[in-house]
Amino acid sequence: MELLHPERLVWLLLLPVLWWLARPPVPRAVCWTPHSAQWQQALARMGRRAPRRRGLPFLLLALAAIAAGLAWAGPVVVARPGPTRLVVLCDGSASLAQVHAGQQAWTVAAQRLRERLARVPSSVDVTLLRCGGPLLRRHGPSARALQDLGTPAGTVVADLPALAASLANPDTAVWTVTDGQGQSALPAVGSLSLVGAPADNAAVLAVRTTDHWPLPELELEVDVVLFAARAGPVQLVVTGGVATAAPQTVALEPGVPATVRFALRRLPAGGRCVVQVVWPGDALPTDDRWELELPPLPAPRLAVLDAGDGGPFAMAAARALAQEVGGEVVSGTAGTAAGLLLVDGGSTPLVPGQVRALTFGCQLTATAPAAEPWYGPVLTEWDRAAPLLAGLELGELRIAAAVPDLLPPGEVLWWGAVPGLPAAPLLVVVPAAGRTDLASVHCAFRLVDSNLPLLAAFPQLLRRLFVRCYGSGAQITVHSEPPPLGEVDLRAPARGPERPLPEFGAPAQDLRAVLLAVAALLLGLRAWWR
Amino acid sequence: MGLPLPAVAAPFSGAFRAALPALIAAVGQPRGRTLPNEPSRSRAPGHSGTFVGHRPYAPGDDLRRIDWAAYARSGELHVKRFEQEERRAATLLLDLSPRLLCGSPQRRLAQLRLAAVLGGAMLRHLDALAVVAPGGPPNALFAGVAAQEGLLLHLERLPVVAAPAAAALPLLCQRGVPQRVYWLGDFAGLDAVAPVLAAVRRRGGSVTGILPALASDLQPPVLGYQRIVDPETGASHAVVVDQAMAEAVASELAAHARAQALLFAQSGCRWLRWPVPAADDLQTAPYRGLAVLGGG
Repeated sequence: MELLHPERLVWLLLLPVLWWLARPPVPRAVCWTPHSAQWQQALARMGRRAPRRRGLPFLLLALAAIAAGLAWAGPVVVARPGPTRLVVLCDGSASLAQVHAGQQAWTVAAQRLRERLARVPSSVDVTLLRCGGPLLRRHGPSARALQDLGTPAGTVVADLPALAASLANPDTAVWTVTDGQGQSALPAVGSLSLVGAPADNAAVLAVRTTDHWPLPELELEVDVVLFAARAGPVQLVVTGGVATAAPQTVALEPGVPATVRFALRRLPAGGRCVVQVVWPGDALPTDDRWELELPPLPAPRLAVLDAGDGGPFAMAAARALAQEVGGEVVSGTAGTAAGLLLVDGGSTPLVPGQVRALTFGCQLTATAPAAEPWYGPVLTEWDRAAPLLAGLELGELRIAAAVPDLLPPGEVLWWGAVPGLPAAPLLVVVPAAGRTDLASVHCAFRLVDSNLPLLAAFPQLLRRLFVRCYGSGAQITVHSEPPPLGEVDLRAPARGPERPLPEFGAPAQDLRAVLLAVAALLLGLRAWWR
Repeated sequence: MGLPLPAVAAPFSGAFRAALPALIAAVGQPRGRTLPNEPSRSRAPGHSGTFVGHRPYAPGDDLRRIDWAAYARSGELHVKRFEQEERRAATLLLDLSPRLLCGSPQRRLAQLRLAAVLGGAMLRHLDALAVVAPGGPPNALFAGVAAQEGLLLHLERLPVVAAPAAAALPLLCQRGVPQRVYWLGDFAGLDAVAPVLAAVRRRGGSVTGILPALASDLQPPVLGYQRIVDPETGASHAVVVDQAMAEAVASELAAHARAQALLFAQSGCRWLRWPVPAADDLQTAPYRGLAVLGGG
């Protein structure tokens, strides 16, 4: 503590004056008496005491005067040199999920952070950066509380040594907390805390699928790797969403990936399919699973409606499609359950996008009742990169007549034109509002009015349109990601000596207000005391 | 706080010395311890000393002096006879405490003048006079009128010294059982006085307590804020004396005076409050008949 104006302490010389003023009055008259005992008895009987100095009130007054005098002298606590800011670089990569002695390295890191940050002076500005996985920044109290740091994931995208070197300066202390995984070197500046330890690990690197939807066959190719000191057998288990599959055991050389193939049969209801690698001594369990969401298989029933004057093309198309998707053709009568409705010509009360349907020259309730047909329209444009049309040869398509006005608004796949009129859509896809697993496809001409059924691409086009009507309901959703390569091999993380946090600086503190408050409190007590 | 004691006033001024014969004459004839069938101012056996023989028992003799062995041998009652060193003697027991410096005039001044007057009368009428002053010089013996000046000189040189009342008893018994003791003092500490009175009475002596009484011994104190000082201990304390306090102090002083009289009465001793005359009052009236009042 220092005094800004020590010369003002001279005011404390008033204390003897206070002491002198606080003395009880001195009697002027002196009475010598041999009857002192009788005087004392009289005083006791009257309940009186001799006037005397009141010790505690004077003490309170003197202390208040001392406090005020010290405040007048300007006492300050001098600033302590040292950093006033702390930046914590916290490695939150996937390898922090490694488990040792039943405790996750991420938990150990969080515990160390919490304990040490609790001892960091409140005047220090703390910023925490999560450098692995999602880049998160926490500042102030939320940094001290380690608020919402998530779970270990991803890889360390930042160069921790360079980042620590760039942040460190005399006012800023940098504290790196890492497991040393996926880094060539540890930060050379700032404080350093290491968690985790070298360990063995088996991991699923990737899973590739060959989907035969809407058929139940499903083939998996699982890439698995073992990072251990010695080769060993690793077991792969597939569960959920598929019929029972026998586990496979494969002998893996350390660090050499291997591919294991599974030929599976999907369950009609679909479900979550989990590919799990099982190996005793695995320190990192989070990269041992690969999860797929298998959609339910569609009802393999195709209903056909035709006007009766369109020839056999509708039924032939339905049969071709049934053969392609492994289904069957049923009559399009009311009450029949079907996975897809195929309509050729005529008029059908069908709301576009609300029913999985494939219509050819069909009058819908939502379209104009009277429409002028186009004769001999030419297919002018189609999106060859669209998933529905990619790789299909449609150059030989010839259309005798089409009614573009029959089509509802939707995603146009084909454009056609006749001389003297602007181009109009000939094939549209109408998805259901707010849904991705339901759509209907509408064509402006009947099968009998074109050579489409005769084209080689027709069965494949039909299959793709069928899949499109199911949309996302036909796709496998993958919930897993390949583990970051640098976070899988835990055998040789970067290691080095840990370095503790430095002594932090403290700002100067002015004690005048405190001393004045103390003086006021003492004076209040002095006034209150009786 | 070391307040200086009040100055000790010179007791015997020239005027007092000049008036002393008249004052002694006014006191009257004090009585010493007279034994039955013994003429005054003659050599006669006393209570203690050397055994000189027996005499037949007469009514009124002290039963403690009956020689029961002689009664066993002869079948007649006889009392023992001893040769006394002093006969018809009296003792002045003086209090030299600083407490006696209180008052105006000082109680010590009145005590010494009274001792001089009483002592002069005893030298004139009795065989001997002993002056005992606890804490002061050794016991002094005076005999004959010619010793009057020596008595005054002795009294004048007595120091101011604090001594417990219990110290008087061995001094009194230094030369046998005291016959008649005139105890002059302020008798402030009654607890210390009582054992001395009892001890002297047990030994067959008699005590007359004479208190040179000041007006402040009974009157309420002056009102105001004042410091009360005990001269003996030096202890002092400030006191605000208002009317209620003055009445309380007066009540305590009256109770103390009653306790003094009661103590002497219960001890079978005489008690005399002698109002102190003014320092320049050398009239004989205050001393008239004092020896008769104090004798017994």
